[in-house]
Amino acid sequence: MMVCDNCKERQASVIFTQENEGVTTERHLCEKCAFQSQMFHLDPSQEPLSIQQFLSHWFGGVESMQPFQQTQEGIPDGPTCPDCGLTFKKFLDIGKFGCPTCYSTFKERLPRIFSKLHNGHTTHVGKIPVSFNELFAVKKKIEEIRAQMQQAIDAERFEDAALLRDEAKALKQRLAACQDGGGDNDVN
Amino acid sequence: MSIDKFMKGSVAGWMKSSGEHADIVMSTRIRLARNLRGHLFPIASNPEDAKKVDESVTNALLNSGEKGYEYMRMSEVPLLDRQILVEKHLVSPQLTDPKRNGAVILSADETISLMINEEDHIRIQCIYPGFQLENAYEHADSVDNELEDRLPYAFDEEFGYLTSCPSNTGTGLRASVMMHLPALTITKQIDRIIPAITRLGMVVRGSYGEGSEALGNIYQISNQTTLGKAEKEILADLKNVALRLIAHERRSREVLLSKSRVALENKLFRSLGIIKYARLLPTGEAARCLSDVRLGIDLDIIKDIDMSILNELMIFMQPGYLQHYAKTDLTAEERDIFRADLFRERLRVKHVEKEDTEE
Repeated sequence: MMVCDNCKERQASVIFTQENEGVTTERHLCEKCAFQSQMFHLDPSQEPLSIQQFLSHWFGGVESMQPFQQTQEGIPDGPTCPDCGLTFKKFLDIGKFGCPTCYSTFKERLPRIFSKLHNGHTTHVGKIPVSFNELFAVKKKIEEIRAQMQQAIDAERFEDAALLRDEAKALKQRLAACQDGGGDNDVN
Repeated sequence: MSIDKFMKGSVAGWMKSSGEHADIVMSTRIRLARNLRGHLFPIASNPEDAKKVDESVTNALLNSGEKGYEYMRMSEVPLLDRQILVEKHLVSPQLTDPKRNGAVILSADETISLMINEEDHIRIQCIYPGFQLENAYEHADSVDNELEDRLPYAFDEEFGYLTSCPSNTGTGLRASVMMHLPALTITKQIDRIIPAITRLGMVVRGSYGEGSEALGNIYQISNQTTLGKAEKEILADLKNVALRLIAHERRSREVLLSKSRVALENKLFRSLGIIKYARLLPTGEAARCLSDVRLGIDLDIIKDIDMSILNELMIFMQPGYLQHYAKTDLTAEERDIFRADLFRERLRVKHVEKEDTEE
């Protein structure tokens, strides 16, 4: 077992080569330190092909393997996740997301990656948690009520509109409760 | 010295020889990867956050009303016990790293093991003996439903269950069957079959996980795709592939029997001789011989050995188990001696030892 060069505790699972003024150094890092480390790129000769190499080769490694056409600094970092600080480039290097928010941060770029990993598929069609089904239902209901409210206002039925406004408000609280976790906090 | 008592306490439910096609499919495993909203994934997390995740998951499961769950924090489990949990396939080697803030919750019969703070916040794992994809999935799914009721899962309309590794995104489901394929291996057909299975979106591995060779002709077949396919479809595809492999393996066994019966019997009985009488038994040789003897029992060539004893020995021959039983650290050579001793004892050839000592 190779130990991580950085923390000297966990098992090293990612190899990075770092180029500095023509000198190449190799670093063996665990996933966690790789995630936290800055400025690296992958050694394309590392075997066997792991997920991070797979991603790096397909989507990020092209430039790093052609040093004469484009320098390392030329590879854009892409968007940065506001919650965990992961950049898109770093995601390609380590092949892991840092938090659920990464998915929305990199949303536009993910279908291409998922398509390669999942036989051309990019969208989930399986199980949906009950709480999310409920969430979608509440969202839809609020949209409906708002439309009805607009109709009531247009028809100058202001008492109806006020009732609908209260209903929408209650549902919005319910939505917040759903998003907060579980469906336990029943507002109604 | 009797190992019966130790074996009784050490053999998980899935190791018992039962279930459909149990002669070829040794076990079925379902794994569901889940994460909680509002927390960084373990790769980016800090100890405080990891602890909060641990508490939420533990409270949710232990309050679910189902009794008999046992919680173990990895940092508090002795090293050897951690190794045994790995050898029983109840936790992953990664989880046992004490820096990971990992924990496991085991059901009393060890059918369900729930890993906390592995690569994902939650990994629900369900292992059944034999070929039982639907049953194992239904069990894992019911635990998932219990948790989902009490915990805010990280889920997205488009991408499904959000996981740390993009290869798990979507259903988060990894379904695997562990298969004993000696006839396909002896006839070298497996070399052509593995690439074909890979093209069908499945992965073939040795029995001890990623990158390991097929020790004892045991192969693990799993789905690779988790996005764009519903759970039922993933299970059905894997089932089809496994059924085809079972049919291939059975046909190859028949061919071997009809075309080279003596050579086959010779090979299998020699292996039986080795595990019954050897004084030094390295892991690789033990695994190869156990595979041969298992095939001999399946083909009714070897009649006086119980399959459940063989299953136990397959688990028991691993280093962690041996050392646990020896109650001390063993060098590689000491392990080979100890392994040979235990095999002889378990296969009840004590009279031979007596003869030996009288000489």
